[in-house]
Amino acid sequence: MRTLLTKIATKIFIAIAVVVLATPAHAKNDDFNSVVKMIEQFYRVKHVGIPFLARAGMKAATTAARIKGGEAKRIAEAGSVKLAVFENQDFAGDFTQFRASLNEALTATWMPLIQTLSSKTDEQTYIFLRSAGEKFNVLVITIEQREATVVQVTLSPKNLALLMKDPEGTGKAITDEATLIDQE
Amino acid sequence: MKSLFQTNIRQPLIVLLLIITSALVAKAQDSRLQMGSLDHLAAKANQTVDVSVDERLMRMASKLFNEQDADEREVKKLVAGLKGIYVKSFEFDTSGQYSDSDLETIRTQLRGPGWTRLVNVTSKKDGNLEVYLLFNGDSVAGMAVLHNDEKELTVVNIVGPVNLDKLAQLEGQFGVPELGIEQQKKKNDEK
Repeated sequence: MRTLLTKIATKIFIAIAVVVLATPAHAKNDDFNSVVKMIEQFYRVKHVGIPFLARAGMKAATTAARIKGGEAKRIAEAGSVKLAVFENQDFAGDFTQFRASLNEALTATWMPLIQTLSSKTDEQTYIFLRSAGEKFNVLVITIEQREATVVQVTLSPKNLALLMKDPEGTGKAITDEATLIDQE
Repeated sequence: MKSLFQTNIRQPLIVLLLIITSALVAKAQDSRLQMGSLDHLAAKANQTVDVSVDERLMRMASKLFNEQDADEREVKKLVAGLKGIYVKSFEFDTSGQYSDSDLETIRTQLRGPGWTRLVNVTSKKDGNLEVYLLFNGDSVAGMAVLHNDEKELTVVNIVGPVNLDKLAQLEGQFGVPELGIEQQKKKNDEK
């Protein structure tokens, strides 16, 4: 009887441990989706899939590069791109409040690198980083008056060096690349 | 009994006081400025830039960056020993959008122990530039740059061993704006 109880207690303990240990990993992996949902809830908007024309544009660019005998220079590691696009919707709202909510949600697992806000053009850009073994995950959130993008990519140390040297320029390049380059 | 009581109490009390004192000294010597008091200006500013390269990122960078790669080597060299780079910059459409009390929240911290003002330039054309260094004994433990004119307010805080040469190298990189430190240095050298 005692052995049975011990076995049951052990199984319960293992089950609890699995749930407890799995939860932070799940939360960490799900930050991209959480940010997309946060934008949807705060601005009452809906994201759309990757635009067909953007995929077509990427293929054309890659083909052109191949014809020239070169390869398109990529920032993100192959296959690492997560992208959510919001098109032709209204992003009116208190951006200082949005920024505070975003920082509160992400700063436990991500490091904020640069945040730019422009009240004149209603543009917001946020770049967050976290380590991913020998590489780095980068989350770039761009919100404009009528559109927004959320991009998560993995960067090599070399490309992180570029991002640190020029956060605004490289952050923009990551977003541009993600919206133009197909996921492999 | 009294003696035993006094001995029992006195020792932990002394240890506690030492811990509190060392914590206060460490806080006083901490070159990281608290700049959150400026965040309310974002609502009035035409353009706000907030850069935060913290110690975790510095450590990761110095550990993973490869000496063989030119870009990585350059960044690694620049951030070597630094514990953080923090920038807050606000550009306004009209003058009078920030107050003296906003500046004072930063200057109050820069009047703390260890901080010394190295540069103080007042110019109608280029605005005001103040550069402060935090000394920890003979070594520099941090730097702060305060730049403001009628329509702009920028605070740069570098935590760790840094000098004007390094600051000049960091200008235009890591989100550190062009502050004209190099020109200012040349002017000072010529004098």
